[in-house]
Amino acid sequence: MNAAGTSMNCEQYREAIAADPSESFDGGAMHSAECSPCSKFKAEMRALDERISAAMKIEVPDLSMPEFPSVASEEKVVDLSSRRPIRWTTPAWVGLAASVVLATVIGVRFTDTHVSHDIDGSLAKQVVAHLDFEPNSLRVTDVAVSDESLYSVVRPAIASMDRNLGLISYAMSCTINGREVPHLVMQGEKGPVTILLMPHEMIDMPIQLDGESIEGIILPVGEGSIAIIGERGEQIDQLKTRVRKNVKWSI
Amino acid sequence: MNSSNSDLHRRQRFDRLVSVWHRDMYRYAAWLSRDPAIAEDVVQEAMLRAWKSLDALREDDAAKQWVLTIVRRENARYFERKRLETVDIDNLTPSQSAMLAESSDTDLDDVREAIYRLDDDYREPLVLQVLMGHSTKEIAEMMDIKPGAVLTRLHRARIKLKQEISEEAAT
Repeated sequence: MNAAGTSMNCEQYREAIAADPSESFDGGAMHSAECSPCSKFKAEMRALDERISAAMKIEVPDLSMPEFPSVASEEKVVDLSSRRPIRWTTPAWVGLAASVVLATVIGVRFTDTHVSHDIDGSLAKQVVAHLDFEPNSLRVTDVAVSDESLYSVVRPAIASMDRNLGLISYAMSCTINGREVPHLVMQGEKGPVTILLMPHEMIDMPIQLDGESIEGIILPVGEGSIAIIGERGEQIDQLKTRVRKNVKWSI
Repeated sequence: MNSSNSDLHRRQRFDRLVSVWHRDMYRYAAWLSRDPAIAEDVVQEAMLRAWKSLDALREDDAAKQWVLTIVRRENARYFERKRLETVDIDNLTPSQSAMLAESSDTDLDDVREAIYRLDDDYREPLVLQVLMGHSTKEIAEMMDIKPGAVLTRLHRARIKLKQEISEEAAT
């Protein structure tokens, strides 16, 4: 118990009042009412805040509004029809359902793919195009990559990731927009699901990827984004929640 | 609803929820970038981005936080694109100098210069709290850091400002 008879001591109070001069924190008002030096410190902080507030109110020039495109022309469609189809590859020893194995020879195309909120669609294009570079990543398997492989790709300097995310069958360090991007594949309910962790690619809103046979999303996550792409019918919403819960940026 | 009616309806909603915050958007951008000229560019881009994404704004009450988050991201994009050098306070552009000495009150200008010199990590939460009136929780959400980290930065920012202003007054 301190001199003021409260559970908050003077050092704690001063730290708190310097962070929040409105004194909205618990125990603050009681402490300052009974501790004269801290009450004086509070007055100093409030006076300082008045000066800070006045100094921050710089003059605002007459800002001209940009030309806003009409609603009709706003929706962006990324034409990805010319891209090579992705093919899943499955090792013969994987004893999974024939119907799933058959899926390995079905071309997956992003024709008529609609992308929203990525103003020029370039990130969505790069993400989807990247899938073509590593078609072997999309294997149906029940074998997980080792911790060593996984964490050499999802390095602590980039992100932390809990293995509760799911069965990760592929992990490779790739490049998008010149930045290192962990490229993971996890086994979803419908087949392999690609996950790209892009800590430097900021987007304002989720970008929906809606193709003929696959679907996905690029999620804004902090100052970066994460792409999740699976076969049509995959539980993308559930995966979104799991990814958000199990991946944290370090950057 | 035809296209022109839709545009009109959208513009009305935009003015009500976004344009109304243009002064805050500009000041926030100016304190983030520490350059009024860049702030104008950032606000223009942020306005355009907000217009395109307006349908994604579900709660009207969250509009201010939403537009400021767009400004924050647009500012980061700007610096990513331009890869500007760190601001050297002894070698400012005319636009930057004008921001620091725009009043006839030298005391106010001293405080402004001290804020200008703060590290980005300290200056930003201070602007969001003092100028924008956001709570610790809201600032934590916007900056994607923990509330405890926000409080630590705010405490350090004020202590540093207090010291600098005291030293300035003593000279």
